[in-house]
Amino acid sequence: MKKLFYLLLAFFGLGCNFSQAQVQKGSVLIKNATVLTVTKGNLESADVLVQNGIITQIGKNITAPTGVQAIDATGKYLMPGIIDAHSHVALDVVNEASAPITSEVRMKDVVNPFEIGIYRALAGGVTVSHAMHGSANVVGGQNATLKHRWGAKDPADIIMQDAPRTIKFALGENPTRVHGRGNGIQPRSRMGVEAVIRNGFNEALQYKKAWETYAAAKNTKGNTLTPPAYNERLQTLADILDGKIIIHCHSYRADEIYMLINVAKDFNIKKLVFQHTNEGFKVAPEIAEYTMGASVFADWWAYKMEVYYSTAFNAAILQRNGAITSINSDSAELIRHLYHEAAKTQRYGGLTDDEALAMITINPAKQLGIEDKVGSIEVGKQADLVIFDSHPLSSYAVPQMTFVDGIKYFDVVADKDDQRQLVSATEMVEPIFLRANEEAHRCMQDVEIFLDAFDVAFLKEKH
Amino acid sequence: MMIFGWVMQVSWAQSDPSGKRRVTSSFAITNATVIKSPGDIGSKATVLFKDGIITGIGAGLSIPKDAKVISGDSLFVYPAFIDGGSNIGISEPMDDESTKDFNSSNPPDELAGITPWRMATDFYSSASNEVDEWRKVGFAMSQVIPEGGMLPGKTALVSLGDPKNIAIIQANVAMAANFRGSRGMYPGTVAGVMAKFRDVYQNSILALEHEKLFASVAGVKRPQTTPTQLAMAPVVQKQLPILFTANSELEARRAISLQKELGFKLILTGLENYESVIDLIKSSGTSVMIKLQVPDDKAIKSQKEEGVTEATKAQYARVKEAYDQSLKQAANLEKAGVSFGFSTLDTKASNVHKALSTMIANGLSEKAALAALTTNPASVLGISRIAGTLEKGKLANLILTTEPLFKESSQIKHVIVDGYVFDYEVKKKSNSAPNSSATPENSENSVEGVWDYVSETPAGSSGGEITIKKENGVLGGSISYDDPAGSGKASAPIKNVTVTGKNLKFEFDVSAGGMSFTVTVSGEVNGKSMEGTLSLPQMGSFPFNATLSSPSQLN
Repeated sequence: MKKLFYLLLAFFGLGCNFSQAQVQKGSVLIKNATVLTVTKGNLESADVLVQNGIITQIGKNITAPTGVQAIDATGKYLMPGIIDAHSHVALDVVNEASAPITSEVRMKDVVNPFEIGIYRALAGGVTVSHAMHGSANVVGGQNATLKHRWGAKDPADIIMQDAPRTIKFALGENPTRVHGRGNGIQPRSRMGVEAVIRNGFNEALQYKKAWETYAAAKNTKGNTLTPPAYNERLQTLADILDGKIIIHCHSYRADEIYMLINVAKDFNIKKLVFQHTNEGFKVAPEIAEYTMGASVFADWWAYKMEVYYSTAFNAAILQRNGAITSINSDSAELIRHLYHEAAKTQRYGGLTDDEALAMITINPAKQLGIEDKVGSIEVGKQADLVIFDSHPLSSYAVPQMTFVDGIKYFDVVADKDDQRQLVSATEMVEPIFLRANEEAHRCMQDVEIFLDAFDVAFLKEKH
Repeated sequence: MMIFGWVMQVSWAQSDPSGKRRVTSSFAITNATVIKSPGDIGSKATVLFKDGIITGIGAGLSIPKDAKVISGDSLFVYPAFIDGGSNIGISEPMDDESTKDFNSSNPPDELAGITPWRMATDFYSSASNEVDEWRKVGFAMSQVIPEGGMLPGKTALVSLGDPKNIAIIQANVAMAANFRGSRGMYPGTVAGVMAKFRDVYQNSILALEHEKLFASVAGVKRPQTTPTQLAMAPVVQKQLPILFTANSELEARRAISLQKELGFKLILTGLENYESVIDLIKSSGTSVMIKLQVPDDKAIKSQKEEGVTEATKAQYARVKEAYDQSLKQAANLEKAGVSFGFSTLDTKASNVHKALSTMIANGLSEKAALAALTTNPASVLGISRIAGTLEKGKLANLILTTEPLFKESSQIKHVIVDGYVFDYEVKKKSNSAPNSSATPENSENSVEGVWDYVSETPAGSSGGEITIKKENGVLGGSISYDDPAGSGKASAPIKNVTVTGKNLKFEFDVSAGGMSFTVTVSGEVNGKSMEGTLSLPQMGSFPFNATLSSPSQLN
């Protein structure tokens, strides 16, 4: 009997999805809130009914079905769960910095559901984050889209299993510093970065061809063709060319952004999002025309040479040029107040409330390919929701409750001092590893030169 | 170089000028309480063994004329222990030299820690002190794991017996694997290791396909199977299991997810924190060897009763809860119906008795504890036919204790391995501490000599040697550490060496990546061991342990 069960599982390709059954889904009725749907306007004193993790009804005077808890949100604001398109929260490893292309590396392998950053993000209303590989390599690892189901012990339970695959690319100073200057290999310049990408894709085409040729010959009589070497690095690049993976590219300068657009055009790649994109305002029409937009900081720059030519109007300029634009954190601290970061686009650029809120909800959802599931309050979508005490774009806004799939994971009233999921049995206070430059974003985590020296000598975590 | 313990066996000459030759290989333990297997309540019996094999167990057996009699009155006889995974007697392989055209993004396998062709037998020495230490606490066999990176090589089952005998029972038991990245090259992190593991595995399958085609069809290009692929063949053919060292719950999950993806046979070893994966271990049917160790209670002991805030008290409570929980893990594993063995990897022989009694005090049954030391590892290692219980025809591996095994005051009087009897001094019952074996009084001189150290960091452990000597009345010396510039060791002079009472403190400078920083090491010396911390400016402190491997003979 048991055998049959396993056989069936294998047959339906469900073998790896055991854990999905574990994901909790809740039902709840939120009443009398000002509902900021983001995509369909605002509703005053409206109710939102969630059943089994899905928004099933939005309107007035909805009564709670039996067994469903009703929460009175009179005078409060309900918005979709905030989505951070660039984060490194809940990752045990950020950079496999040892080769210019590491597309075979999967962040899903190193997700750590115990990291306290998940809870802190929930306290800032963030329900989905894009856990990215770092920017040490031209082509980094494949990222993981996470749902902040705090308390889960199995990493698979916080991975958004129905999100499409995404991958990290990086241009400019980081890959040229680590590989060119650090290791004396290509790329040493921006030209080298482009060459690495083009060579990679061309090799991937050859790889794909070799396997197709082998597959066709394999079962013919007297075949003498042998299987090509397996190479997940090239297979992943081939998957990008086949439109199966969305590129999220770390970039700053307009010239390198435009370079990658040209590379994408040459290889017929359509799924491309730029990250950071500080000079995006210079090439906004090009980004709008050809890509899935840009994910930017509200006002963060000048931490290295290539990031000096920047403006806080960047997001607004991109938005008004028709590019899909999101505001991201790339930081365990900024992730806690992305609503505040989004509000800066009103100060610098005069965006409307909906435009500003879209920067941290539906727009990042589009860039992650999950806009049909999350990112707005609509019937049929997953119930990732946040209740604020005042309008989320107000300087005084404080998140009150955060829901993922209709389950409440944060409640400001029930916010214990110690929210750790995992406590060491042998240490009174867990060690805190101070980064040499705490302000720096985590894209280059594990690669800082000082840390590198330290890692090399004592942590054996070499890059 | 490697030391082949077993090649020391010499053919016995007619006479024995050394006087060490045994008078007989036949023995009889008389009138002892014999516990034949886990759960057996024990009964008075005689145990006969000859030439390393048990020849009879029972009451009223006649004692062979050539047998040496061991009086078992008041003693208890148990099957000797089997260690599910250790590095007993294992030396580290020599570091490979980088080649001229070395490229850190694509290093040769042997530099990247991928050496599945290596065999633990090539690095094992039965003359190692560790063999004595572990035998003394009851172990007769161990699965030894080679040192190295992500795929260090094949494990072997060895007998912890007389060094004159050949130790190897079985050479290729499992393929060892770690989540350890290589220093300064690909794969450098856990993420890279998992990707590289898949790569190695899949290409080993393809290499076999290629070889098969080459053997059957003319005109096929010559296979160029690498040593890695050759060594991995029995793994991908599911003949040889992978013995994955996984300390934490997340590592256990990672190993099991690789297993589900690729389909190899899996044994987990070295498990330290596994509470939340017990169900997964059970449902996946994974064999496990848990670490024969309980967490140290320093954090618990340092909790103060008075003068602390409510917030601190709340933190105390959580650490206490985590500590208590961790002591119950083994019991919970038993409760879940998982039969497990023990691994002694990174543990101390002197802590075994305490670890076992703590686990039992926290709910592990004595039956399950004995099974974890005997029948369970025997079953996982496929040696149930010859070991694990006391039965006629099985190997004469047994231990004799003064009291029931798990009793606090129980002491081991004899350990018998392959029919060789090892006698141990039994202390008179008193209030004295169990470790009363002559600890020399600590003085400044006693820190001199060569120390082996290990520093635990969040990314794993790192170690080397410290040489301390006095020159012109001033203590100085050197320390070796993993070279920041690549593989191998670097060394630096130590400075500001001070000894205050039991405390030893010194500093050294490390330069790497154009930066230089001072590392401070301080700790308490007790006899030949030192426990303390290694600290770095701005980086924090890490546990540091050292043992004085060769004390200075100067005085």
